[in-house]
Amino acid sequence: MSDASRFAELCLPHLDSAYNLARWLTRDTQDAQDVVQDACVRALKYVGSLHGNDGRAWFLTVVRNAFYDWLARNRPAEVVHDDNVTVDAAADLATPGPEQVALRNAELRVLGDALAALPAQYREVLVLRELEELSYKQIASIVDIPIGTVMSRLARARGMLQRSPVLYAIGGQTARSAP
Amino acid sequence: MNCNDTAMLISAYADGEADRRQTTSIRQHLAACPRCAAKHDELAALRARIRAEVPRYAAPPSLRASVLASIDAAKRSEPTRIRLGDRWRWLTGGALAGCAATVLAWFVGTAVIAYQENHDIAVEAVTSHVRATLGNHLIQVASSNQHTVKPWLSARLDYSPPVHDMEKEGFTLLGGRIDYLDQRAVATLVYRIRDHTIDVFVCPRAVRMPPSAMRTIRGINVAHASGAQMDWLAVSDVSPDVLSSFVDSLARGGSTQ
Repeated sequence: MSDASRFAELCLPHLDSAYNLARWLTRDTQDAQDVVQDACVRALKYVGSLHGNDGRAWFLTVVRNAFYDWLARNRPAEVVHDDNVTVDAAADLATPGPEQVALRNAELRVLGDALAALPAQYREVLVLRELEELSYKQIASIVDIPIGTVMSRLARARGMLQRSPVLYAIGGQTARSAP
Repeated sequence: MNCNDTAMLISAYADGEADRRQTTSIRQHLAACPRCAAKHDELAALRARIRAEVPRYAAPPSLRASVLASIDAAKRSEPTRIRLGDRWRWLTGGALAGCAATVLAWFVGTAVIAYQENHDIAVEAVTSHVRATLGNHLIQVASSNQHTVKPWLSARLDYSPPVHDMEKEGFTLLGGRIDYLDQRAVATLVYRIRDHTIDVFVCPRAVRMPPSAMRTIRGINVAHASGAQMDWLAVSDVSPDVLSSFVDSLARGGSTQ
């Protein structure tokens, strides 16, 4: 089978998943399309190296790599090196102070905004888990981290969402009872 | 297990990803500790809200068209590979080339699959699902009313497939179509949950079923269950646990328990 046919068979059915991931990572419709286009070019080129039958996880890995290359080219200031120390530091920076809470209360109206406001390393695992409904094992292979890190990153991402003012602002049933 | 250990693992437990030993001891701890049980409830509520409120974006038609055009371009230029920077050429390919590529892709893809794996019913179901999704001919009768979908299907088949309303469980009936499985026409119901499409093949006993209740083929899950008269085969990229409980309740006649 040619590479183009392999791509059509293994990756194309997951174009919505690819776009959804890119859309949440870039937070922009046009940028997301650029990232997916680039990912498709790469996937067409390298689909011959895909072994096993999980075309979805493989294609999402390519999309994620295309996103981080795009980020380095277009928003170099946002690149966070993917070791736990810097990621955790970024998470702490994201913990809002009182003025930021007030500002965010005004800005964030829906839960999607709170997700979009998370650092990329937390956003991507939540999107892969909650919207794409992938297993920890698949997420570990896409993000290239151990399963234990998937576990702790998801737990932390959820904690950050639960502390988000959005959850107090609307409905608020899921907001933490104690600070 | 104490509260600290539970705090480390409760998120994985809520995801069904803790191992068997951890699951047992967390369950025991949650039964005894109201504080940790409340945390677990908060996680479940957060998940429900994410799934209800956060959109899963679908690829825009223009993106799909240009990706299809790029496949077409790659096929025409084989064995020479397309160059990485050559984006403009395949962006301009447009929808027409996209349509041609789609047709070619199904033709080549399904012919190859049929040749390689024509004895595997689960693969056949995935192929039908993919073909229908790509070609936008997922639904021939669009209705969320089972009393509309059922007669439409029955009129075109030699059997009468049961059609269940699963709205209460969160599965919206979008409609149905006639598809082919194991060389015969079968009723195919299309449901949607949280932006994931589910194809359900409702098959009379004559159709072979896959040996295992759950399989993943090319990232798409296939679950089946046997009911009183029919076999039910569900295909979707929704998570395996959701898909298998869905197909089980269809086979039980649409009830959740």
